[in-house]
Amino acid sequence: MIAQAIFSLLLSSVLIYAWAEYRRSPVVALMSLVASLVGLYFVWIPSHTTRVAEFIGIGRGADLIMYLWICISLIVLLNLHLKLRSQHEVITALARAIALANADSATEGARLRNTEHETAKPAIPLARDASYKEPISMVRTPRPPPYSARRSYRSK
Amino acid sequence: MQTPAVWVICPAFNEAATIANVVADLRRRRYDVVVVDDGSVDGTRHIAAKIATAVITHPVNLGQGAALKTGIDYALSHDAEILVTFDADGQHRADDIPRLVRALTEQRADFALGSRRIGHSCNIPFVRRVFLFAATLFTVATTGLCLTDTHNGLRAFTRQGAVALSLRQNRMAHASEILADIANSGLRYLEVPVTVDYTPYSLAKGQRASDFVMILLDLFARKLHR
Repeated sequence: MIAQAIFSLLLSSVLIYAWAEYRRSPVVALMSLVASLVGLYFVWIPSHTTRVAEFIGIGRGADLIMYLWICISLIVLLNLHLKLRSQHEVITALARAIALANADSATEGARLRNTEHETAKPAIPLARDASYKEPISMVRTPRPPPYSARRSYRSK
Repeated sequence: MQTPAVWVICPAFNEAATIANVVADLRRRRYDVVVVDDGSVDGTRHIAAKIATAVITHPVNLGQGAALKTGIDYALSHDAEILVTFDADGQHRADDIPRLVRALTEQRADFALGSRRIGHSCNIPFVRRVFLFAATLFTVATTGLCLTDTHNGLRAFTRQGAVALSLRQNRMAHASEILADIANSGLRYLEVPVTVDYTPYSLAKGQRASDFVMILLDLFARKLHR
């Protein structure tokens, strides 16, 4: 009875985890939901594990449980991997913001030294010529926003 | 029609040996060049800073996909009308860019993708050929785009095309991701023959066949997690 209580508690926490996880990653959440429900079932009716194990061709119920446990671990690993990924996306956004913020001040000097490569066109395109017409491919949908948020810290 | 503002984006990671020639070549053809130094430790940024229009330095190495995205963001914020991606290892030829730009302006496409299969490749090794063929099959099967070369670093986009690219894959899986975004955007794309020069240097820097496993993993993870 003690073991059953402990395992029920653990598996219920997996249930809660699955519920909390659903918005972020439905696939992982559904997999952990199924795993914990199956686990709860076997904790309370252990004799069924042997019957199920025999039915699917595994000798003992304990082996079946061990296999299930391995599956659950793999799911958790996968989920950790996904979390790392999303964290890396945040780091990327951060590093990019730093790089872009530093870009203009760092290249201003280079542009001055750059005169032998300077051409008729200014290095940074200035306000567009009034005579310029957009190619038709560009006017199928409205123009994207002019990145004014970025421009704001450049002009200071 | 006035020539559109063309910005060439050069992602570079430890390319000190080639970056000067690559950028100088592009500058001679009067393109604005933004070099995205992806955390190099060999002074790539100092060499590039002498000749490029702009050099952006990632504080840490993030991967080629991330570098492309940074460069695209920068070029868009500087009113680029046509954005070209160009590898910094010297495998592409600046002469091919006008053809890509013409495909966008005259044939009204939003994406012009370089292809070495309808163009030329010099000294392409057999293993690389098999690997590229497998990658092409995979991409055609998953995106439904009709392409002959899916992993070519030389591409051109219009503004509208560039904005449609999400580029969340930092590492090498970005090549497949770009194509998936092109397929989803529903915008017009074209393939343009280009020449790719395989040198011992570019081969050593390029992808290995074993990277394919990681690319598949990355793409699989992206399907699970949005």
